[in-house]
Amino acid sequence: MELIVSRMLNLGVIICGVTMVSGLTLIWFSGDASNPSGVLSIDWMLWGDPFLQPSHLIFMGFLILVAMPVMRVGTSVIIYVYERDWVYVTIAGIVLTILLAGMFLGIK
Amino acid sequence: MTLLFGALALLIALSSGFLGALLGLGGGIIMVPLLVFALGLPIHIAAGASIVAVVATSTASASVYMKDKVTNMRLGLFLALATTLGAVTGAGLTVGASEAALKIVFGGTLLYASGMMWNQMRSTGRSWVPRSNDHIAQRLSLGGSYYDAARQEEINYGLSRSLPAFVICYLAGIESGLLGVGGGGINMTAMNAVSGVPMKAAVATSNFMIGVTAATSTLVYIRHGFVDCFVTAPVVLGTLIGSFLGAQLALRVRGVVL
Repeated sequence: MELIVSRMLNLGVIICGVTMVSGLTLIWFSGDASNPSGVLSIDWMLWGDPFLQPSHLIFMGFLILVAMPVMRVGTSVIIYVYERDWVYVTIAGIVLTILLAGMFLGIK
Repeated sequence: MTLLFGALALLIALSSGFLGALLGLGGGIIMVPLLVFALGLPIHIAAGASIVAVVATSTASASVYMKDKVTNMRLGLFLALATTLGAVTGAGLTVGASEAALKIVFGGTLLYASGMMWNQMRSTGRSWVPRSNDHIAQRLSLGGSYYDAARQEEINYGLSRSLPAFVICYLAGIESGLLGVGGGGINMTAMNAVSGVPMKAAVATSNFMIGVTAATSTLVYIRHGFVDCFVTAPVVLGTLIGSFLGAQLALRVRGVVL
């Protein structure tokens, strides 16, 4: 199980790296001016026009990265359920809730 | 964005990622001042880049630590309760007159913990002395064991003073949410100096915690427009490479060196 999580983390890091490198390269060569300031905003990401510019790729890289710790905590909940360790199912569950709540506060 | 600027940001991130993974810090405490003073970035943009980089440090080195089973997940999750709560508190606090007071609290905590660590090293010559579990640690079985490759022995450890460590980690979480750093330095000293967790296990476990903590406040930073992709992308790339190397090295050296 830990091996699987470790592999997924590696994969996530690689995907994140690739999306960001390609995003940066595309911006560099195409002179993408959709987001000249470079500052990311969630509204612009979701409803920005034109959609799917190179900067979106970079943003997606960030999102994948941020999803990794969520995945780690999530899988640990599953591991403890599997081990019937209810104290830690609760602890990991609360951590996951706080984590997601923090993110939700960020989006809202 | 100029190429030179990107390259410099990458270089700064590479070194802070390396040190960060090696020491169980997020590297933000090294990176933020460098970005501000060397590249002349506004501090909130530097903090925004740093908070994403902390997640990168944590994730990139996690896979290395997990393979060797040094990370104490139970302890990490128990203390992550404190740090994530702290991160939410920190992100929710408005930066105002209380900032100076907070800094004094954090500085004091850090000094107290490093003083304890220093005493312990002088008296024992090791970064760690065995302790037995206190009743919280007993109840939650927070102690652990791992195989130390540098010493070539199996190391078992218990935890004392779990409650103070929990409170200190809460403060670390607030710091993280406020300043865009991982709070790793504080987590680490809490585990190592206050509770008696061996250095390597503390580094690996703190590494897990900072990722979770930083992820909690990252979207808040993005929401406030503090994440500039031209700064953050090179920073994250540098951090990924640097921290991967740092984690590899961390397993091979002795705790005292750190």
